[in-house]
Amino acid sequence: MSLPYSTDRRPSRPARFASMTLAVLAAVAALPVVAQPASGAPIRIGALLSITGGLASVGLPEREGMLVAQKVLNARGGINGRPLEIVQEDDASSPDSAISKINNLVHTQKVKAIIGTSGIAQTVAVGGITQKAQVPLMAFTGLGPPVEKERTCVFHLTPAQALNARGLLAYARDNKLSKVGVLHDSGYGQVIWNAMKGLDKEFGVEIVAVEKFDIAATDVTTQAAKVKAAAPDTVIVMSTASLPFRAVRQVKLDVPMISVHGSSTYETVKAMGDAADNIVFPEFLIAENPLPTQKEFVDAYQKEYGKLPKHFSAAAWDAVMSLAEVLKKVGPDAPGDKLCAEMRRPYQGAMAKYDFSAADMGGLTLDGFNYAKLTQGKYSRLAYRPAR
Amino acid sequence: MPSSLILQAVLAGITSGFVYALIGVGIAVIFRGSHIVNAMQGEFAVVGALVAVFASAGAGLPLPLAATLGVAAGAGLGVLIDLLFVRPMKRRKASEESFLLLTIGLAFTLSAGALYFAGRDSHLLPPIVEGVYAIGGATIPNHALWLIALAVAVVAALRLFYRRTLLGLSMAAASADPDGATTIGIDVNRARLLTFLLGGGVGAVAGILVSPLIAMNYHMGIVYTLKGFAAAILGGIANPLGAVVGGIVLGLLESLAAVGFPSGYRDGVAMALLIVIMIVMPNGLIGRAGRVGG
Repeated sequence: MSLPYSTDRRPSRPARFASMTLAVLAAVAALPVVAQPASGAPIRIGALLSITGGLASVGLPEREGMLVAQKVLNARGGINGRPLEIVQEDDASSPDSAISKINNLVHTQKVKAIIGTSGIAQTVAVGGITQKAQVPLMAFTGLGPPVEKERTCVFHLTPAQALNARGLLAYARDNKLSKVGVLHDSGYGQVIWNAMKGLDKEFGVEIVAVEKFDIAATDVTTQAAKVKAAAPDTVIVMSTASLPFRAVRQVKLDVPMISVHGSSTYETVKAMGDAADNIVFPEFLIAENPLPTQKEFVDAYQKEYGKLPKHFSAAAWDAVMSLAEVLKKVGPDAPGDKLCAEMRRPYQGAMAKYDFSAADMGGLTLDGFNYAKLTQGKYSRLAYRPAR
Repeated sequence: MPSSLILQAVLAGITSGFVYALIGVGIAVIFRGSHIVNAMQGEFAVVGALVAVFASAGAGLPLPLAATLGVAAGAGLGVLIDLLFVRPMKRRKASEESFLLLTIGLAFTLSAGALYFAGRDSHLLPPIVEGVYAIGGATIPNHALWLIALAVAVVAALRLFYRRTLLGLSMAAASADPDGATTIGIDVNRARLLTFLLGGGVGAVAGILVSPLIAMNYHMGIVYTLKGFAAAILGGIANPLGAVVGGIVLGLLESLAAVGFPSGYRDGVAMALLIVIMIVMPNGLIGRAGRVGG
């Protein structure tokens, strides 16, 4: 005789199925989430950097930062699932070469945006072409609003020279180093000196000596001795070479040096030898002690290349990541003018906090500087922040 | 104006002058032996210095051995240049302008090669002696004193070689009049090969001696070539001693101009004075009008 109810205490079949499904789902949910690498048709941007020639010392670290950003981005899923492809060109540090390469990137390769260039002359040369084509140009240098004020598609990821000059003078002012000697080269240093002239009164310092040397100079001890004769409290050295730093110490001018971040590369420090001591740099990235917003970049770079990065590489990382953010938002098929418009916004990068909507299309401020001191060839972060 | 400043300028000028002279000597050696203006002499210095750096810092070799390897690299490069490029062009009776273009092209190629193989870093060799020598309130690196002494020794040795040895005389003869030299049994090709070997070696010595003072990188070659060329022309291009005199004059002009004028005008003043010297003495300070031909 069958009973009106089942004496089988096991769950019913549907219940068992539901339980098993729930168990599987719970197990899957407990697994660590792994991002799917990007796949599908790539989104193409261009890069025009100085990989050879005189600016290779800047272009090569920019390329390194750019490539590690691409790798990290694509490993995380790219831009809405699609990989970012970078079509690279080398302008050989020449504006003429830059023009022919940019025409290829913009008109033949039809890239969505350009990362570069590495040099002022190249940026000014190609900016007219990219502006007309409404292709965002993420430049690592430029002349700023006086020349580029109509170029609202040219964005600057490194500071204007006037800001560099202020960063240097602010340190002198705030540390009571009121008598300032200046030693600068005829290239990079001259551009910053041009911006520094006339700021001495604003910062309450006295420029007691200004000496210039050719970028190809083989000895600058005469100029260093002239600066020494003026008895400064500090010497501001503006050059991409190690020579002036060694010259200052050779003539026994033992006051602190303040120098600009373009001189702070590990290669220049190594070439300074024993002179790499008692030098302060207004920097953006102190990789030995990165800010929280910089840590991801520093770790990724160090993992990829086995060495610490400098701000050139950080700026290139920011160029890729900020472009990627905009492309994710508006889509890769958005017209150039929309891309440019969307780019014009504040952006927290690894190098600094930018404001691409600012008049100089970069928005870096004195607050963005981090000050590093070089002591016996090693960098450490200073607590100093410039007073307004 | 303090006397120590003038003395510093003199010491700096002499140091720079011998740097230019060492490159100028190599240019003079190659011109003397082949009548080719070598626009890549600075690259011999770069190659020599970088090989020495990687041999000592990279492979851990003792510095004298590393320096010897650097000199050998420069000399070997000179030999390759002659065998691969100069000799075939000579066979085809190439013009002087063609050789100048060749060496300019090679300068860019070697600079790119140095960037590829050695990277963008600047490299310093350790000095022969550390520290600086102070005199009358001015200073000069101890290594610079050694550089000057060794440069003088190189030039003296070259002078003896060209004047007192059969090989040196035959190398000069082969350059001045290849046909005449051939008729008296001088192997012109071999003489030119030895010229490039010597020029490359001297260039490498220059780079190795300079790089404890000025960090060497891939881009320095053209800088040194321009200065060395000015020194060689000023002294009389086929005369190694002339290159030394020219180099010292150039170095002192630059340095003293920086004392007497705002330093921004230094190069303009020095070059203006050089132009005046060349107008007054077109064959150089100790050069002389040579035979045309060969």
